[in-house]
Amino acid sequence: MKEKHIQILSVVLTLVYGVCVAWLYWAAPKNLEEVSSKARHTIESATTKAKVVTKTYEVDRVKFDEGLKAFRNENFILARDLFERADKQKLDSRTQFYIAYSYYRQGWGRFSNNDELFQKALESVNRVTRLDENFKANDPGLKLSTPVELKNELEEGLRVTADDFNPFKFTRERK
Amino acid sequence: MDAKDIEREENDELPVIDGELLEVSAEDEIELGVDEERAVQEKVQTKAAIRQLKGKDKIEQNSKAYLQYLFLPFIFLTVALLGGLRIGIDGGEFLFFRPALICLVFAVLLMLLFFRAKLIVFDSWFSYEFSALRNMANGAVFVSLFAASTQIFNSLIPEQGLPFWVVGFCFFWTLWNNLFAQFETQRLLKSLGGLFGFAFFAKYLVLSNLVSAEQGSWLSRIWQDPAKEAVTYFLDLPRFSSATGYIQFFALVFFLIGLFFIKPKMEDRSAQN
Repeated sequence: MKEKHIQILSVVLTLVYGVCVAWLYWAAPKNLEEVSSKARHTIESATTKAKVVTKTYEVDRVKFDEGLKAFRNENFILARDLFERADKQKLDSRTQFYIAYSYYRQGWGRFSNNDELFQKALESVNRVTRLDENFKANDPGLKLSTPVELKNELEEGLRVTADDFNPFKFTRERK
Repeated sequence: MDAKDIEREENDELPVIDGELLEVSAEDEIELGVDEERAVQEKVQTKAAIRQLKGKDKIEQNSKAYLQYLFLPFIFLTVALLGGLRIGIDGGEFLFFRPALICLVFAVLLMLLFFRAKLIVFDSWFSYEFSALRNMANGAVFVSLFAASTQIFNSLIPEQGLPFWVVGFCFFWTLWNNLFAQFETQRLLKSLGGLFGFAFFAKYLVLSNLVSAEQGSWLSRIWQDPAKEAVTYFLDLPRFSSATGYIQFFALVFFLIGLFFIKPKMEDRSAQN
């Protein structure tokens, strides 16, 4: 083999091996089984990021539809999981809006709201605003169709006011 | 008068010359032929010898290139891989310890030491006169050496607590002093071998034996060996499986082997070819 070829091989192999070592320290697998599973996850993540860079990123339609079905069946935990898997990079405003809405509906209570879930819903709805300021949901099942309305509802739910003790408030409906 | 008589008369008229008949021209031709053959044979032999020498030289050059450009990066990156690897005491799980910032500082000091002791002659490793490929290949070897140096410090310096600072300070003191000392390449290698060997002894034989390697609850460990448990607590030493010591031993040996095989001057044989 010519020296030139050895040098090319050296650069390529050093790069490959170096990346593998760096990846191992970054992923820190606990055993050999984890090495393959983490490698698969890293490749998937890298592929998705490449899609984002090349502007070919799309949500997983099948998973999104399954999530929507679970959401309409009020199975919010499953719905959220499917939505999150459909939009791994959290770049689709519609999916993120549904995630926020699932937190809201799950956390809503006639007597008291779950503040933790409402807080998470707020984070998601803020993400929707960042992604698309003019977002509006086309789903007639959602009474709050814009991020502003949903955000207002969530903030109202988190705030403790005298109005919370109004007995007529117990008759309110979930939106 | 017949034809025979006429022939006899003609022969009688010819002058008689006394002397031996020699076939000079024929022998000369033979001798000349032998010389030529010998010369050709010699030429062929010389050519074959040159070819053989060239072949040998090429094989030697190739093996040197394999050593410099394939073996060295491989061994150094293996050290980089093993240097931060520890094995957990409970489940035998892999624990990858990323190098602390001080390890990078020490590695830089070590590189400076390599340059000062002429273990690496910078001008013969990197130059604008070299091809980009050669500079890149040498750069790959250099980067892998730097990564290995960082990880070898990561391997030899205790992970946390008071021993981290004590051993770290000792390394810093030694490297800083060496930086201003006159070093030959061989002496540097011997000195580094001694330094790293001692650090390995301190961490994996002395300190690890002070640390309690018992499994189980805190209370049961205190009951089994209160002194060790107290030292573990006060020195804040992490507990690893004994396999860690073996792995780090090989990491250190590989690193020293790699250093031994480093060529201070990277020869440019592609130009000769």
